Amino acid sequence: MLTSFFRVIKFSFQDFFRNFWLSFVTLTIFILALFSINLLIIFNVIAKTAIASIEGKVDIALYFKPEIKEDQVQNVQRYLQSLMQVKAVDYISKDQALESFKNKHKDNQQIIESLNELDKNPLGASLVIKAKSTNDYPVILEDLSDPQYNNLIESKDFDDHKQIIERITGITKRVSNGVFVIALIFTFISILIIFNAIRMAIYTHREEIIAMKLVGATNWFVQAPYLLQGIIFAFFSLVISVIIIYPLLGFLQPYLALILESDFNIISYFNQNFAMIFGLEFLGAIIINLLSSYLAVNRYVKV
Amino acid sequence: MINFKKVSKIFYPKSVALKDINLHIRPKEFVSIVGQSGAGKSTMIKLLTAEEKPEHGQIIIGGWDITNINQREIPLLRRQIGTVYQDFKLLPKKTVYENVAFALEVCGISSRKIKNIIPQVLKIVGLKDKHDRYPHQLSGGEIQRAAIARALVHRPKILLADEPTGNLDSLNTKDIIDLLLKINEFGTTVMLVTHNKDVVNRIKKRVVLIDQGQIISDQEEGRYVL
Ligand SMILES: Nc1ncnc2c1ncn2[C@@H]1O[C@H](COP(=O)(O)OP(=O)(O)O)[C@@H](O)[C@H]1O
Ligand SMILES: [Mg+2]
Repeated sequence: MLTSFFRVIKFSFQDFFRNFWLSFVTLTIFILALFSINLLIIFNVIAKTAIASIEGKVDIALYFKPEIKEDQVQNVQRYLQSLMQVKAVDYISKDQALESFKNKHKDNQQIIESLNELDKNPLGASLVIKAKSTNDYPVILEDLSDPQYNNLIESKDFDDHKQIIERITGITKRVSNGVFVIALIFTFISILIIFNAIRMAIYTHREEIIAMKLVGATNWFVQAPYLLQGIIFAFFSLVISVIIIYPLLGFLQPYLALILESDFNIISYFNQNFAMIFGLEFLGAIIINLLSSYLAVNRYVKV
Repeated sequence: MINFKKVSKIFYPKSVALKDINLHIRPKEFVSIVGQSGAGKSTMIKLLTAEEKPEHGQIIIGGWDITNINQREIPLLRRQIGTVYQDFKLLPKKTVYENVAFALEVCGISSRKIKNIIPQVLKIVGLKDKHDRYPHQLSGGEIQRAAIARALVHRPKILLADEPTGNLDSLNTKDIIDLLLKINEFGTTVMLVTHNKDVVNRIKKRVVLIDQGQIISDQEEGRYVL
């Protein structure tokens, strides 16, 4: 049994190298399939990051009436923080508002002077709300329309954002749907191509498979080297596509940093998700390989 | 050694390849099966290697009734029979040595034993110094001798040869037939399928003539007459 096991290993490597061109072509097809899936992952990550960075710029500011006390504002803040849809609420006090107002207009002597003439701070406190998702803003606004809160508020600047938010939400949905469909098609095509490559490779071996059977080989003894070879193919194509993808990421990174205006790093994204991305690809490649090798050999082994 | 009892093989829908074949081949016999193309000769071989199963009748080899042999036992059957074919059926990506070794490797025989046996067998067929050649580096006659070495390597009691000289010139044909006769002298039962008249007439052993799936004549020291 152990002898047979070692023989299977020997045969699969022997066959791999003695059919060098066939192995080379099959491997290339595998690598291209994995490469296109990796490209898709890159595209998907970039799209998501771009959308997130645009979404991150959206918020609602609530400007409270000047006479509203600090603890009242903080009540509202606590209420908002307790909402599921809310990611963060920043409190800007009356003093901070005045400070930043002065800062903004420090070149305008007239405004500064008239402010100084007032003995009371004319500005109200404000809350800046960030929702977890752009879809959540309407819900939050709905909650705030309760008179209990609404009466404290002088103005909300959401209406300005409303259209932008709606548009972004629309784009997000379309992009992620699009990416999903493309991913599905890509994966499907990759599976078909790999499946076919293996079928072709084994078709060229059909006479050998029959000859092996006629000499008294069991189905297992004929099948196993091909199955093992499927794993070898999956392994090498994965290693090579990892080797290919990193220089590409390095090439892309400076451009992404420019476009996305964020500290997002595609290389560290791949590093952090290495096991997930390449592990799944390896697993998928092995499953497809084993299945297609098994089915292809099975056709000829029935002698 | 080999016994066909009222064996019929039908390829549906309409082709009757063998019809009511009764044939008994005794141990150590050398039998030539002759007949025109399409007579059913290869079908007889395929029934013996369990590539095909008979619709009617019974087939017994060395006391083993293989009529309804199950899938798991087929490899065991084939390891006890040597087979040689017109198209050789060697593995193209393996050397002569590896091809012969393969027949032992499938049985799980240890590498040490294999190393001992193969040189002996290659010597018998005269390929000792060509053991590391690939099939495409050999002549037709040499390829067939390698195939015979593979068929002999596990010392089978039965050797089946389906037109082994069909692709060879007359000189190589003579060599191969002489080799088969020598193997028979060592005590192996040989069943040779051929439609080469000269071959049959030279062998001067039992000849079974088949036509349209039926045995027409069966003669000791027969000649091939049509
Ligand atoms: N797999 C098959 N399917 C259908 N018919 C077959 C098959 N194999 C052989 N036959 C038919 O059976 C008959 C005998 O074939 P065969 O035994 O190969 O003849 P030969 O004597 O030339 O070796 C022929 O008529 C052939 O067409
Ligand atoms: Mg034939």
